[in-house]
Amino acid sequence: MNIKPLIAIALGYFVVSCAPSKIVAPLEQGTWQAGATLGRPQINEGSLPVLGIYAAKGVSNHRTIYGGMGLSSSLFGAMQFEGGVVKGLVAPKGWMPGYSISYGANVFMSARNGDFRLYPDAGANMYWKKGPHIAHLSANTWVDPTWFLTRYGQGQILAPSLGAGYRFRYKWLEVQAEYKLVNPSRELMVPQADVPGIAGLGGRGLYYGLALNF
Amino acid sequence: MKKYISLIAAAAMLTSCQDIGGALFFAGDGTYEFTNANLETGYLVDESKIHRFETYSDSDTIQGVFVGDFAQIQNDTIIVYLHGNGPSMDNFWSSIGVLANVGAQHRYGVIMYDYRGYGKSTGTTVDAASMQADYDAVLQWLVDRGLTSDRMVVFANSLGSLPAGPAAAGNSPIAIEKLVMETPQSSADAILQDATGLSLPSSMITGYDFDLGANMADYPGALLWMHGTKDDVAPIVNARAAMSEHQGGYYVEAVYEGAGHGLRWDISSEEWIRVLHEFMLHE
Repeated sequence: MNIKPLIAIALGYFVVSCAPSKIVAPLEQGTWQAGATLGRPQINEGSLPVLGIYAAKGVSNHRTIYGGMGLSSSLFGAMQFEGGVVKGLVAPKGWMPGYSISYGANVFMSARNGDFRLYPDAGANMYWKKGPHIAHLSANTWVDPTWFLTRYGQGQILAPSLGAGYRFRYKWLEVQAEYKLVNPSRELMVPQADVPGIAGLGGRGLYYGLALNF
Repeated sequence: MKKYISLIAAAAMLTSCQDIGGALFFAGDGTYEFTNANLETGYLVDESKIHRFETYSDSDTIQGVFVGDFAQIQNDTIIVYLHGNGPSMDNFWSSIGVLANVGAQHRYGVIMYDYRGYGKSTGTTVDAASMQADYDAVLQWLVDRGLTSDRMVVFANSLGSLPAGPAAAGNSPIAIEKLVMETPQSSADAILQDATGLSLPSSMITGYDFDLGANMADYPGALLWMHGTKDDVAPIVNARAAMSEHQGGYYVEAVYEGAGHGLRWDISSEEWIRVLHEFMLHE
């Protein structure tokens, strides 16, 4: 039986970490970045378009703040916002990687009845920077403080994701691509559809971003 | 502050409240070729006992099929089959053939109908209200022909569990005393939470907030739950949790190791019919 694309899309929108890591290497102080992201989490043989927008600002050379909004979830009656901080710990030097950490929160609110969920997140990035090229490995986890509200007790406190990506940051332009494994600690199920993961766990997908620096 | 309020207001305006409730339903065309040619050997019916009928749900026409003698509705047990998420009754006709042979050929009457938008039923199934209205319309058709509570068995397959749940919980023109839940779903919340791994409520994507666990908690009658351990459409963990909330006096579960969502095909019609008939005969 074929699945209607709509249900897969609607459910897929909410697959954990459905956007690329916003900022990996902190922006320079005073620099703004505004961009759009396109997630492609895989469902069945295809993938889903998950759209989002964000803005970020380098408040110092080591600290960048960002905020974003999920557009796809809005289509189905939920407002989705995220915000956070990326802090550079060690700058990359030659082939030696740099390190950064991130922390923030994601908010969902139903436009139907005001149901509200808040998911703090934290992550770490290891990245190499050579001219306009940035390559990175990222690990992130969402925290579900309301895991106990899941029906039938299927909740979990942590929803981790792992990613590897590449960014081209040149003057006013940044192009992003990242491959992510989302929530590999549990099986993700969509009725009458297959969510390809690793050994039957989690989901995976390609995520893209396009941003302007100014 | 003003900027943030504007941002939230803009987000609220962008939020269009499209409901995926309708997208859950795989309604499609039906040809309604209800003949022995489409039944399993050993589970054939007397083709003179196949009766098409139609009734009305709100402004829509609901198409149904009754297999048996109309007199049975007034005097004997009738199995009300609520079909799963296939395009039309055509996809479930072979199950009707098997049910028409429970006990013996035409021992019991069997009735099935298409929800609105499925097969040749008009309209569109969108939510709990439309499913309830369709169920009520068909049950009223049975009430008008003399069916009573003590002679009705409701058999809900997969999607059919959605209208069966509230009906069992007291919203049925004929009170349900015997209910079979075959590979049922569990709750709208559980579906979204299984897809995301997060505690997101179903209100984030749909207004169809069904909860079979809550329904079973309010259902005082007998319950047979049939499920396979390898069901990837209706996960057994959630179905078990929902069915275990049943507080009625008689409960039977038939769980089959390795079986999937197409339970009858995996366990054989013979086994399927055996478990069902044992349950039906329980006083």
